[in-house]
Amino acid sequence: MAASTTPPGMVDITIDGAAVRVPAGTTVFDAARMNGVTIPTLCHLQNETPVGVCRLCLVDTGARVLAASCVRPVEPGMKVVTNSEKVLSARKTLLELLMADHPAPCARQTNSHDCELETLAQAAGITEPRFAKRTVARGQDDSSLSIAVDHDACILCDRCIRGCDEVRTNFVLGRMGKGYSAGIAFDLNSPMGDSTCVSCGECMVSCPTGALTNKSVTGTAIAEGPGAEGFEAEELLKFPVFKGVSGTFLELNRGAIVKRRFRKGELICKEGDFGSTAFYILEGRARVSISTPIAHVKTQGGSKGLFKRLTSTLVGREEDTRAEEAGDKTIPIDAAVDLSYGNPVAELGPGDLFGEMTCMNFYPRSATVRAESDVVAYEMLRNVLDIMMKNKTFKAQIDETYRRRALENHLRGVPMFADLAPDFIEHLKETVELQRFAPGQAIARQGDVADSFYLVRIGFVKISENYPGGELVLAYLSRGDYFGEIGLLGGGVRTANCTALDHVEVVRIPGEDFRQMVERFPTVRRGLELVAEERRFANQQRLEMIQGVPIDQFLSQGLMEAQSLLVLDLQNCTRCDACVNACADAHDGVTRLVRDGLRFDHYLVATSCRQCRDPLCMVGCPVGSIRRRNSLEVIIEDWCIGCGLCARNCPYGNINLHPFEVMAEDPENPGRKKATIKQKATSCDLCTHLKEPSCVYACPHDAAHRVEPRQFFQEVIHQGWKIK
Amino acid sequence: MKLDSTQRTWLFISIAIFVACLAIYVPYALTAPKGPTGGSALGLAFGIVGFAFMLFAAALGARKRVPTWRLGRAQAWMRGHLWLGFLALPLILFHGGFHFGGTLTRVLMWLLIITVVSGVFGAALQNYLPKIMTNDVPLETIYDEIGHVRRLLREEADRAMESLCGPLGFKYTSDVAGQRAGGFTAMRALTATTVALRTSAAVSAGASVATAVAAAPEIILLNEEQSAPLRRFYLAELRPYLEQPKRSSRLSEAGRAKSSFAAVRTLAPASAHATITDLEEICEEARQLSLQERMHRWLHGWLLVHIPLSLALILLGAVHAVMALRY
Repeated sequence: MAASTTPPGMVDITIDGAAVRVPAGTTVFDAARMNGVTIPTLCHLQNETPVGVCRLCLVDTGARVLAASCVRPVEPGMKVVTNSEKVLSARKTLLELLMADHPAPCARQTNSHDCELETLAQAAGITEPRFAKRTVARGQDDSSLSIAVDHDACILCDRCIRGCDEVRTNFVLGRMGKGYSAGIAFDLNSPMGDSTCVSCGECMVSCPTGALTNKSVTGTAIAEGPGAEGFEAEELLKFPVFKGVSGTFLELNRGAIVKRRFRKGELICKEGDFGSTAFYILEGRARVSISTPIAHVKTQGGSKGLFKRLTSTLVGREEDTRAEEAGDKTIPIDAAVDLSYGNPVAELGPGDLFGEMTCMNFYPRSATVRAESDVVAYEMLRNVLDIMMKNKTFKAQIDETYRRRALENHLRGVPMFADLAPDFIEHLKETVELQRFAPGQAIARQGDVADSFYLVRIGFVKISENYPGGELVLAYLSRGDYFGEIGLLGGGVRTANCTALDHVEVVRIPGEDFRQMVERFPTVRRGLELVAEERRFANQQRLEMIQGVPIDQFLSQGLMEAQSLLVLDLQNCTRCDACVNACADAHDGVTRLVRDGLRFDHYLVATSCRQCRDPLCMVGCPVGSIRRRNSLEVIIEDWCIGCGLCARNCPYGNINLHPFEVMAEDPENPGRKKATIKQKATSCDLCTHLKEPSCVYACPHDAAHRVEPRQFFQEVIHQGWKIK
Repeated sequence: MKLDSTQRTWLFISIAIFVACLAIYVPYALTAPKGPTGGSALGLAFGIVGFAFMLFAAALGARKRVPTWRLGRAQAWMRGHLWLGFLALPLILFHGGFHFGGTLTRVLMWLLIITVVSGVFGAALQNYLPKIMTNDVPLETIYDEIGHVRRLLREEADRAMESLCGPLGFKYTSDVAGQRAGGFTAMRALTATTVALRTSAAVSAGASVATAVAAAPEIILLNEEQSAPLRRFYLAELRPYLEQPKRSSRLSEAGRAKSSFAAVRTLAPASAHATITDLEEICEEARQLSLQERMHRWLHGWLLVHIPLSLALILLGAVHAVMALRY
């Protein structure tokens, strides 16, 4: 290949006599890999920065000394030899040196015969190294509940350190000591169990030897439940979805994954229940549904008659349309499909995964799943699912299922995308990328170049803006929400930070496709521009609001964000609870007010939704039924399943669960119905059906007030009173 | 209800009514041949108006039973209750010409006087006590929860002690996360020191308010000799006080309690001082809860006299009216 014909940015080299062309900057290792030449290595992983410490990947580039191919960039005309006598001999010596410092067989080799070092040594014909064995042991660390550390088996390849720091950004692992006593260390050489390690398992998965191995997970509840069947790791490895998963890992995690059989009609999981597992269907069909009535709580009666009793009832959106209610036709759930608003039932079949959010983020189950026929499924804990998701085969299958079954609904679920032409949706199905983010990981940073549009598929994304003195949370986005349009439609720069709050999966639409979309579909463009403008305006207002309030306490209590606060003047309040009784009376005996809360000056800011700056209630809703109106008021959509997570998350206790008796299907007698209690989340509705909130109206001591906080506390704010 | 400038309108109206009634009563009393009596036209009029005021005042109780009925704001009813109920006394005195009459009327007069005086006493308490309670009980909680919070405080103290002295044989009914169930109470202390409330990160990590509030005590085990003074103080004084606070205990007074803890600190090794400070804070919270309990009893206890007497007054008043008009 003549140098004169090499395109710009490309480099021509030869590897073992074969001419290859690779982009400039490619390492010799990658160039060889891309052209089918395997170079053995121990310290290098594709998803980590190469460091060249094991030197096992050395090759002859014609230079004075052999080079570590993982860190050596290609150069024009370079002649690389990977398997000469000189290279093989040097590699064997290195293996002998490493083996001299490694207890053979190590734990990994003993358990699953796949210690990378020992496998390479065997291949090189090394039975007994020529060099003396280590005399001083570096010891074992058994302090972690999930990972066993054998410092003696460590070859100092640093794969665990890079996994911890680069891949997971946990920064727990590092190097300690020098020379012969060098080793890995957790924090400042603490025992692993006492360190800040979060047991994500990345180090263990990265380790090529038995230095970091997963402790056997046995005796867990999932392995003992009904219909559970034991199995061997080898059996699992026969399934394509487990192809590439470490045998050691599966062997040691036998208790964390179980094959379960469900008879026809049997309940697999129930909406609102807490859990920690995901299900992967192998055989059979399952019915996924929401049994809680698709309706919201409406209190009626007071305004019509003087003595008319107030009653709270469940009504659907067709009977009572509320301002800014979402017109969604689908309900997002924790499965590969969405449910329809009118008939919230769908079917899952072989190859479908459900319960991913419950498993990864410990959120309540979003729907009830019942076996439609006899079902065989794998039930797995978070550590197994996490590893599975790193398995390309499994991930590809899950992504494909999503593209095929849910992406269109997901896109069309966003009202302004409803008009996208089918051919464009098909195009998007091919081009979008599904990306996963770990908790705390930045998806986009303020000031970065805007190159993509994102649709949230799983988890919660925090949108925040930097401002002097801190971070202003603008919104929490959940499944079905989108972000990135402001940067793409505006100046091409990200205007906010987008951070994964938990395990997040987003659908990334590349900037080019986004531009095509807005050019081809003007209605989509108009819709997006309108929303972008509204968001920009709201963000600006919030920023101005905060900058105008100098008192930290006022800010830290989130009072400046509220549009309407219920405050009790404690100097007037006789603690008679007339307000609480009135609230209960107005809401079928279920009070939405507790006479407790944070104090600001001599006022008690009682419980009632205050539209917080950091609306924690919205984080974790498994069906995304709690959200903000544009006015910042909280609205609970009809498909609330009453799991109570929002009530638990609200730091001010402002969300309550209202029980209702409804007729639901009797699982013991199919086809028949029985009365059951279902709950719906409710927050203070300001008694909008009445002229004045009942709590204020019923206070005999002029202590309860519904106020606009900035106006009401104006004097306190401007005089900078000391808060008691 | 606070007696402040917002009561001015009602005050003027009440004074006007009183002056008008007085202006009618004085000439009538001076000119009536047999002196003022309840049976005369004017005396009857004073009686009817006075009884109507009493009925209105008594209706407040019924009004509170139906808080959502749009019958006028409860605040207006309360003002009416205060001022008209108070005016009922001079009007009824005008009605009887300041004579207490026979047995029934004598009983009625005393009932009215005691009811009005108890009402004035209650109004005075409600005027001052909320302010005192707000200032002196910053760790106030819901009254019905006091017993529960106190139990949790005791368990928290037990745990702190066992972390220092080893097992002392205490039983717990709550887990560690459930401690300091003051909840908002504890959070108030946190926000006062500008510690952030629950953060989104904490929520995603599954942290609860309670765990964020109650940090686990540091485990420093003292030997028997080192822990003896602390153990003695705890078992003999602090724990009984946390179980059932008595005013006779020296821990019921902030100053004496401070001295007691200072003495214990002197006898205990420095490594135990942080836990002793925790115990002192627990004691302080328990003391505030006791104060709240006492104030709450004062705030609402007078109603035990006022309400039954009011009901008896209305009932006997009605009997008196029927008997007087009929016979």
